[in-house]
Amino acid sequence: MINRPKKSCLLNLTTFTFVIVFLYIPILLLIIYSFNDSKFISSWRGFTFKYYHLLFQNKDIINSFKNTMLIAVLSTIFSTILGLFSALALENKKFKGAKFFQGLIFIPLIMPDILMGVSLALLFSFVKVKMGMLTVLFAHITFCVSYTIIVIQSRLEGFDYNLIDAAMDLGANKRQIFFKIQLPLLMPGIIAAALLAFTLSIDDFMITFFTSGRGFNTLPVYVEGAIRRGTITTINALSTLMIGLALFFVVISKRVRKYIINI
Amino acid sequence: MTNEESLQKKKNIYSWLLSFPTMAWLVFFFLIPYIIIILYSFFETDIYDVKAVFTLDAYREVFSKEYFRSFYLSFRLATISTLVCLILGYPSAYLIARSSEKVKNFLLVLIIIPFLTNFIIRIFSWRIFLSPEGILNNLLVFFKITDTPLLLIRNDFAVILVMVYVYLPYMILPLYSNIEKMDFSLLDAAMDLGANKIKAFFKVTLPLSKNGILAGSILVFIPALGAYIIPQLVGSQDSLYIGQIITYKIKNIPRNWPLASALSIMLLTFISLLLVAFYFLHIKFNEKMVSKDDK
Repeated sequence: MINRPKKSCLLNLTTFTFVIVFLYIPILLLIIYSFNDSKFISSWRGFTFKYYHLLFQNKDIINSFKNTMLIAVLSTIFSTILGLFSALALENKKFKGAKFFQGLIFIPLIMPDILMGVSLALLFSFVKVKMGMLTVLFAHITFCVSYTIIVIQSRLEGFDYNLIDAAMDLGANKRQIFFKIQLPLLMPGIIAAALLAFTLSIDDFMITFFTSGRGFNTLPVYVEGAIRRGTITTINALSTLMIGLALFFVVISKRVRKYIINI
Repeated sequence: MTNEESLQKKKNIYSWLLSFPTMAWLVFFFLIPYIIIILYSFFETDIYDVKAVFTLDAYREVFSKEYFRSFYLSFRLATISTLVCLILGYPSAYLIARSSEKVKNFLLVLIIIPFLTNFIIRIFSWRIFLSPEGILNNLLVFFKITDTPLLLIRNDFAVILVMVYVYLPYMILPLYSNIEKMDFSLLDAAMDLGANKIKAFFKVTLPLSKNGILAGSILVFIPALGAYIIPQLVGSQDSLYIGQIITYKIKNIPRNWPLASALSIMLLTFISLLLVAFYFLHIKFNEKMVSKDDK
């Protein structure tokens, strides 16, 4: 079918323009004000990099940034491996428990994150584990794994099994088939899954808030605390850097984009 | 046993082995924690922890007027923000879906950039924008719309506004992917048969995008019900949402974990009922479509 582009009516265009302005104004202001040489947000006192310097001297921020990255990398690795295994397992629709498993994967996706946060906080206190880096890592793997499974599954769906038959006819063994055919073809899905898990992990506030102890902060949890305490000045600069990070992600990952839209 | 059967059996064993780690993980970190919530909701409270004594105190407290108001506030927030997201999101998604390939990609990136920007920072940006010393108030005073800065933050309106702001992409993206797959020749056919634009929209486009509307609404409505950080950062302490109450009872001393558990169970029950309703609605929509096709 030809999907010919049509002139959209005025209403759509107006709404869309409004939406874009609405989405970008606060972010742009935040970026502009991160360069403002004034303690107060009300007035413009000239351009400065002062707050960026302060930012890099703040040990708490550096620390929580390191924590965020550590948790993100580890939870991405674990959840992607688990996701790959599960997606491969679910390829076989006939195995007992497939339905239960699929349900177990889907439900965490729709539950509000506060419930996962509360339930994990109670679990860790129930089994008397001290909250800290490990509990945060466990929590992050838990909420990332459903996403990685679904992304890899959607890549598997389009898999052409004739390729495997062809390889078998040509005398390839199982290991060769998996490493030379299936895995390379799945790679875009695996990368997309990993990038999605990474973004979800660095973005999470709620679940980390419930599962981190006093001594262990990730960046979103630190930022929230700083906002409440009112130490605003460096937060602007920090926010700008984080927006830059998001931009970077959009640019490098066309694939993530595709999968976010298709979920 | 035939060859095929034994092959299938072998495959099933592989599947079990491959899925076991994840299944065990989700049972331990997702399913069991919910069972613990249920358990705790029947315990007696202690200011730091719980006492393992059976009581219905928590449930008695849940049905008090104070918490009823919080549930109402959260429900109102979820309903209004879903509707506003739909009203703003539908035309936007439609515009993106019907643009040419190149423009489409650009517009999608425009929607996704804020979506990937950190959640806390997006909320923070509104605090700056709306604060009494903020830009909006400066402009309002400058143009003499008001004499003194308005209190734009710390109220329920700000909560709804920021909610819409944060969750709008969650509405637009599923709507877009639904509308994009739509067969637009049906729309042309309706027009050829004499339907005007408005009629064609309500009789063809809207019914065809029901699934997208459903998906987008779930993605906005459910997180809004459990919202904590948005009301915490831009809302008023006079109107506490259910997410705030639950969080306070877990984190702040004096703690009340049984009450937080019972409130969580209520929230969970409500969401489950909602999802079941959505599920049947979804089936009904699709049945209707099929029966229409048969005619």
